[in-house]
Amino acid sequence: MDLFLHLSVMSLIYIIFALSLNLEIGYTGLFNFGHVAFFGIGAYTSALLTLHHFPFEISLLVALFLSGISGFLLSLPSLRLRGDFFGIATLGFGEIIRMVFQNEVWLTKGPMGLPGIPKPKLLSVRFATLPQYLLLTLGFAILTFLILRGIIRSPFGRVLKGIREDEIAAEALGKNVYRFRIKSFVVGSIFAGLAGVLWGHYTTFISPNDFTIIETVLVLLIVVLGGKGTEWGPILGAILLIFFQESLRFLRLPPEYSRYLAPLQQMIFGALLILMMLFRPEGLIKERREHGCLS
Amino acid sequence: MSSFLLQTILNGILAGCIYSLFAMGLTLIYGVLNFVNFAHGELIMWGAYFLYFLMEKPLSLPLSFALLPALFLTVLIGLGSDRLIFKPLRKANRLTLLITSLGLSFLLRNGAQLFWGAEIRTYGLEIKKGMRFLGVSITLNQVAIIVVSVLCIFLLYLFFYKSRMGKSMRAISDDLELARVMGIPSDRTIQWTWVIASSLAGLGGILLALDTNLHPGMGLINLVKAFAATLLGGVGNLWGALFGGMIIGLAENISIWILSPGYKDAIAFGIMVVMLLFRSSVVFSSKE
Repeated sequence: MDLFLHLSVMSLIYIIFALSLNLEIGYTGLFNFGHVAFFGIGAYTSALLTLHHFPFEISLLVALFLSGISGFLLSLPSLRLRGDFFGIATLGFGEIIRMVFQNEVWLTKGPMGLPGIPKPKLLSVRFATLPQYLLLTLGFAILTFLILRGIIRSPFGRVLKGIREDEIAAEALGKNVYRFRIKSFVVGSIFAGLAGVLWGHYTTFISPNDFTIIETVLVLLIVVLGGKGTEWGPILGAILLIFFQESLRFLRLPPEYSRYLAPLQQMIFGALLILMMLFRPEGLIKERREHGCLS
Repeated sequence: MSSFLLQTILNGILAGCIYSLFAMGLTLIYGVLNFVNFAHGELIMWGAYFLYFLMEKPLSLPLSFALLPALFLTVLIGLGSDRLIFKPLRKANRLTLLITSLGLSFLLRNGAQLFWGAEIRTYGLEIKKGMRFLGVSITLNQVAIIVVSVLCIFLLYLFFYKSRMGKSMRAISDDLELARVMGIPSDRTIQWTWVIASSLAGLGGILLALDTNLHPGMGLINLVKAFAATLLGGVGNLWGALFGGMIIGLAENISIWILSPGYKDAIAFGIMVVMLLFRSSVVFSSKE
């Protein structure tokens, strides 16, 4: 039962993470390969503040604010780049944020990581046990889903899709493509930060090794496998992949084999990405093309 | 003090030579195939590991015998990935190619980790004492790095400007359709592009590992550097990549005076950001 609850909490956190990436990749066509950076910024900010006895509400807000601001600062130079170059620039940013976590020992304790992150207390309710934490993440996941869906269905969201389909046409209609992209990127970064906050307080221990390209590939695969540019795709992808990944951890393997488990699992993820692109690039759930879309 | 300065510049040129090899391969693939190959870093890493594999226990070949087979194996990975993955996607849009190459990069990186583990390794060659020259110390390995890189660049020049295949490559890189109309065989040219890009990556990886060490993460970080060098020199511009690589190598080594060495790998990214902010016309965001 506990395993099931654990899987549910992890899936919900990754649903939030993947939904935020889906706004960028699926709806705006921004290939962000450094999404883990904002997940990490959220996790570290909230962890550090609560460890210094700030209330969770404030830590959460500061964490979301910092994720958004760093998203804004990154997007200013990098969104001048064309699609694939933007991809590498964000990939590099992800690596650099990890270096910051690793090198700023005075703040982050470096490779030692931050142990003992307290369980959150929101509006004087403490979410300490597993079922309570499940409720908390469920609440945030529903909130994220509704907000992002609201954004996507709004006129603003339709402009984003228009930019994805045909940038020049969108520009011809008087839309400032650069600004719309920045806004989409900032919103995506904020929700990635939220996922990071929830994850940090759930595992209660974070270290720079938790925020590597592995996370980026996982969340990208979730979006691509489920179906980018769909409302339910990332949710389906997150449930499938998190159940797969976390249940591998509970396999009782003799220790001499467990060394091979992590690279093998990640090779499967890499191969899945390639296979999806070769045989079903639209993902498990296919995006419905509406009329009136600029395509 | 001045010898300290000279030493920094020498180390910068050394690193710069290697980064140039990476960047030239990356920009070549970009020019001919029109996408950024994320797995280029992994070719660098596998090149270095293939040499390690040939020089280690069951085979224990000496360096001079192991070098060419290691490059050959790296080229096989490059050609294989083109044949199995990128060829079926020739008509796909650029972002599909991007995700695919990221997947391939992840697959190859973890493949290396599966065989050799995540720990840092070296070729186990005995460490030779550096020669002193004008107050600067340089090892034989490092002299070899510079000689090999310069030789490579010279050969590349001959290839691109004197040989038929090199000229075809430049033609395709300029305009694929026009090159086809002129009867340039695009399939063969593309295969040769992979051969050259993979050998440059493999060779650069080997040189880097000779000078420092090997670990499965070395591909990714060097991909970012190669990319920054490519941007610096103008995308698709071979000699620009050479220049960009040198600048990054020098900047990294000079940065140690100011920044903590933990951030050495972040310099390339910093240069890229500064350049984009002030010279955004180099690569602009419009046009798919």
